[in-house]
Order: sequence, then C-alpha cells, then structure tokens
Amino acid sequence: METIKKNRISPQKRLVNFLVHLLLATLSVIWVLPIVWIVLTSFRAEKGAYTSTFLPQGYTLDNYIKLFTDRTVLNFPKMFANTLIISIICCVLSTFFVLSVAYALSRMRFGFRKTFMNIAMILGLFPGFMSMIAQYFILKAMGLTEGSAVRIGLIIVYSACSGLGFQIAKGFFDTIPKSIDEAAVIDGCTQWQVFTKITMPLSKPIVIYTVMTSFIAPWVDFIFAKVLCRANADQFTVAIGLWNMLQKEYVYQWYTCFAAGAVIISIPIAILFIYMQRYYVEGMSGAVKG
Amino acid sequence: MATVTLKHVQKIYPNAEDGSKPKKRKRGKAEEEPQHRTYNLKVTDEGVVAVDDFNLEIKDKEFVVLVGPSGCGKSTTLRMIAGLEDITRGELYIGDRLVNEVAPKDRDIAMVFQNYALYPHMTVRQNLEFPLKLAKTPKEEMDRRVNEAAEILGITPYLDRKPRALSGGQRQRVAIGRAIVREPQVLLMDEPLSNLDAKLRNQMRAEIIKLRQKINTTFIYVTHDQTEAMTLGDRIVIMKDGEVQQVGTPQEVFNDPINIFVAGFIGMPQMNMFDGKLVKTDETHYAVRIGDALIAPSADKQANLLARNTPEMDVTVGVRPEHITLDHVDGAMIKGVIDVSEMMGSSVHLHISIDGKDCIIIVPTLDLEDGSHGIGTDLEFTFAPNAIHLFDPETGMNLEHV
Repeated sequence: METIKKNRISPQKRLVNFLVHLLLATLSVIWVLPIVWIVLTSFRAEKGAYTSTFLPQGYTLDNYIKLFTDRTVLNFPKMFANTLIISIICCVLSTFFVLSVAYALSRMRFGFRKTFMNIAMILGLFPGFMSMIAQYFILKAMGLTEGSAVRIGLIIVYSACSGLGFQIAKGFFDTIPKSIDEAAVIDGCTQWQVFTKITMPLSKPIVIYTVMTSFIAPWVDFIFAKVLCRANADQFTVAIGLWNMLQKEYVYQWYTCFAAGAVIISIPIAILFIYMQRYYVEGMSGAVKG
Repeated sequence: MATVTLKHVQKIYPNAEDGSKPKKRKRGKAEEEPQHRTYNLKVTDEGVVAVDDFNLEIKDKEFVVLVGPSGCGKSTTLRMIAGLEDITRGELYIGDRLVNEVAPKDRDIAMVFQNYALYPHMTVRQNLEFPLKLAKTPKEEMDRRVNEAAEILGITPYLDRKPRALSGGQRQRVAIGRAIVREPQVLLMDEPLSNLDAKLRNQMRAEIIKLRQKINTTFIYVTHDQTEAMTLGDRIVIMKDGEVQQVGTPQEVFNDPINIFVAGFIGMPQMNMFDGKLVKTDETHYAVRIGDALIAPSADKQANLLARNTPEMDVTVGVRPEHITLDHVDGAMIKGVIDVSEMMGSSVHLHISIDGKDCIIIVPTLDLEDGSHGIGTDLEFTFAPNAIHLFDPETGMNLEHV
C-alpha cells in the first residue's frame, strides 16, 4: 500500500511541494521573527537598545514591573487606562454608527442615497490625517483641546467619521434576503425590531468584524493622539507613551520596557479576538431556498 | 374570516431614470427592472403602471388565485394587500376597514413567501412563536397554537431543529405554519410552491387543499402555474400587463375564456388557434370556414352570436386539443399531417401540421388503431361544436362576450 501511495506523487510534484513549503517556511519565519524578538526583548535583563546577541543574556520580569510601577517619567498605567476608556467608548459608538449607516443604505430607499455612497467612496480615498490640522482647530474652537477634554476630543475624532466605513457591513447586509425583513414586518416587527431581532443575529460575523476594527483603530492610533495631546502628559495614549520611551533621553532606561509595553498592548486585542471568534458561526444557510 | 375588497387599485412605480427618485421595488429578483420594458406595461408621466384599475371583491373564506405570466402585476397586487407596497391610487378594504394606510402588522394578515423567508438563527419552534411573541400572546395560548399548527402541518418532530437542517418541503411547511399560527383573517401566499421540485409540488398542492379545509380563512394565492390556479382556486383572477383579464371559477375561465390571452394561458396543452372566417349560412345560422371545411358551432353559441348581431368577419378560432375529434362529419373535416406523436399513457398528443401551421390533438389511446397514426400520416379532424371559441383577431376578444 505504502509504496503505491508514495509512487503516486511524481518527482516533479514532490519538488514543487518542497519548494512551496520552503517558501512558506521562510515567509513564516520572516513574519514571526519580529514578534519573537520583541517578546524576548521584553524579558531581557540587560538594558539599552543595542545588544550584540539575538537571545537575551539574562531573563527578568523587571521590565513589566517597572512599566507599571515607575511613574517618575512616564505614567504607563495612566496611559493604558486612558487608551482603554477611549477605545471602548469609540468601539461602542463606531460600531453603532457603522452598522446603522450600513443598514440604512442597504435596506432603505431614499433620495440622495446613491450620491451619498459615491461621495463616501471618494472621501474614503483621502487619508484621514489630511484634515488633521483642521480637526485640531475645530476641536480647539469647541474647547476640547485642553485638560481632560482632550479625551472627549479624541473620542469625537475617532468615532465621528466611522460611519463612512459602512461599505463592508453594507455588502454583508445586502446578502440577507429582503423577504426575511418583509416576513418580519408582516409578523409584526417595527423597522427597529427587524434590525435588532433579525438582521443583527444574522450578521454576527460582520458585527464582530466591526467591533474589532472599531476597537483597534483608536487603540493603536498615534497621529491624532499626538496632535491633540501635544505635551499633555496626563492625556497620553499608549501609542504616544511608547514612542516617548524611544526618545534619546529615555531610550537607555526604557528600551526593554518599551518592548514589554508593546507586548502588553497586544493583549486586549488578543482577548477581544479570542472572545469574539466564538461567534463566527454559519450565517445565512437555511433561511431561503438557495 | 374576512372579505377583501379592492376598488380601482393602481400601482405606479415612479421612473427611476435620473437615479434620484426612490425605487422601492426590490423583490430579490435582479431582473426586475428590465421586466417593465419587456412586458408591455403602460408608462405614464408618473411612471410605470404595474397594476391598473384592479377591482375585485373577495368573499369571506374564499380561495382566490391570482395568475398570470411573470411581470403581470400579480405579486405586486398581493404585496399591496399585504402592505409591503404602497397603493398609488384606489381603495383596499379588509372586512369593512379601509386599510390603505394601515401597517402590515395591523391588517390581520399573514403571508407565505416564495423563498420561505424563515429566520435561520431560530429553531422551527422559535420561528413559529415569533409573530405570537411580537403580539404578546400569553404563553399557554402560544404553545397551544404552535403545537396545533405543527400538528396540522406534520412538523412536530422538527420543532427543535434549525431551518438549515430541513428539506425544502419541510421549510415551506414551517413558513406556512408561521403564517397560520397567527390565525389571520387573510392568508396571502406568494408562489409558495415554485421553489419545490415537481413531485413535492404536487404533494404540497394537495396539502394546501387539505389545509384549507382545516383552517377557515380567506386565501389569496399568487402563482404563474395555471395547474395550481385551476386546482386550488374557488375563483381565478387572470392578469396580464398589470390589468385583470378575467375573473371566474376555474370552470368558467376554462370553458368560456374572455379573450385569446386567457384562452391560451389556461389549459395544458394550449388551445389551438386557427385563422378562419365567420359566415352566415342563412338569416339565423352561422358557420366557421377554415380552409375548405365549414363547421357549425353549437346552437347556443349560434344564439349568442345572433343576439349580438355579429356580422360576417375574419375570426380566430380557438379549440382545445381535447375538443378536437376524429369522428367524420361531412364537409367539416380539416386535413393535416402528423408531425410528432407523443405517447402520454392514457392519451396520445398528436402534433399536426396544417399548411405549415401547428396544432395539437389529444386522442385517447384506446381510440387509436395500432400504427394508424404514425408520423407522416394524413389525418382528418373536426371540432366539437360546443367547444369552438371565436375571437376577434383585431381585439382578441371572445365574440360571444363583446
């Protein structure tokens, strides 16, 4: 049996398989290496940015402890809390905005709908930071650039335009047959109940996707946070904090802590993903003939 | 449980050419829009007239079938009754209540969709309970109705399954169940069987007839299949291009079609159409000349024509394949050649070519002598005098109804 099986794969095929796997192995090493390196660095005992070895000479948890206890120069716990609050609020708001816009555009017919979608598409072509300075002045005029109001400013910046990212969710809603909505309307649903009782449960994958992207975007954003916080160390988000650790006055003392911080900030994302992926279930099958 | 009355109901879809005006119609079929053009729907300044001047009084507990080719406005009419489409003009009453502006859920109707439209994230039981929960029905009442409906439809074993674990026929039963648990005054069905395979369709058709005996309610049923229409309906409404052609019992529309369209639409195989001439043999008697044959319609048909003072004219003569006989009548025989012979078991369908035009005859198998009706054989036939339909070739109207 076994000889027959082996013979079935021709030598050329084996060579191709070998080359393909070699390529994949190389790529995976290239991708995983930086992650391994940053995790290793975060446990490194010796200080400083530059070492002559890939593997640390000694291992320690001090970097993590220092990150959360040493508040003399950089208050990492505060930054972490700031970012978490902002991200969670933005996540809820953005998800709501994105899904409502997508649902309205997918299900309702109104004048200006097509035009609106085209405008949204064109606006989406421009990077957000083009309007950075304008946004700063607008928020300044609203008094949201000083003190703890910066957080509100950041929440507004992150969630206000999120509705423009409706395309993917709309594409998903479009695949839910209209007749299910109509059946629900006849069964006695209001439009809102159709959305919450029918469309939402059927759209779990896309809701999860939206929640994740809505959380991650503010969580890792640097540029808007930098513009709005400027030197307000109280309001720093983790992205700014980590960047500051690499400034030349701190880098020797904080370099390994920077690595620890980088590992720490990936944890909420990982938790969110592990929690949410349970809901990636089969979507539409069984609803209609198909 | 209620009458449904439509008075001059009209539906106009505004032209959406400029892209700015709303276009509400979206039934899941992508080819919807070109249909407006393919079929000769009237177009006015306001837009495309999908349903024009629809008048119908549906009696309590009646089973009415709307039938017609695709794009004829039958589904649109049903959706207007359901409240899924706005009524452009006219009045719709359910019982004595004018419901033009009443929301679908308050119309006391239920609807079964062509593609079932079950809620895939709910079990069968939850699907059936859904309308009752929304109506805040007490728990015991809800259980009673759900179990009863499941019993009637034979879906009790599947109550805890999700729709995806059901076959097409079972899904359609669940869809019907969801409609009947509400005990609606009017039950609307939009081509409920057209997604099923042929065998299942016949079976479900019989079940709908049984269902109707069990639940006493008014049915409005949309189909494009004339067999379903004939077998299910107390009355049939035949539509074309947004206009009602004829309303009547299956017997009436079959025996007495009002125009060529109805004559051709109802009946399988289609009615044969011949070009002929209506002539008067004397002051009070008519005959139809087709080629050399002179065929006299039955006495009551003659009387009808006489009462309308019909002049001699060109006519389109319609005769159903089953009403063509091979019995010899002097001077009334039409000659043709057999093109194709289809053995159907109890009968044979003979396709006859008469000077290049085709017609179909149904002959009972028992009447055939072996080998006498092979392909290429000459054949003479005539019509049963009481089954001749005469249409005006210009207007398409039945001359007995003008």
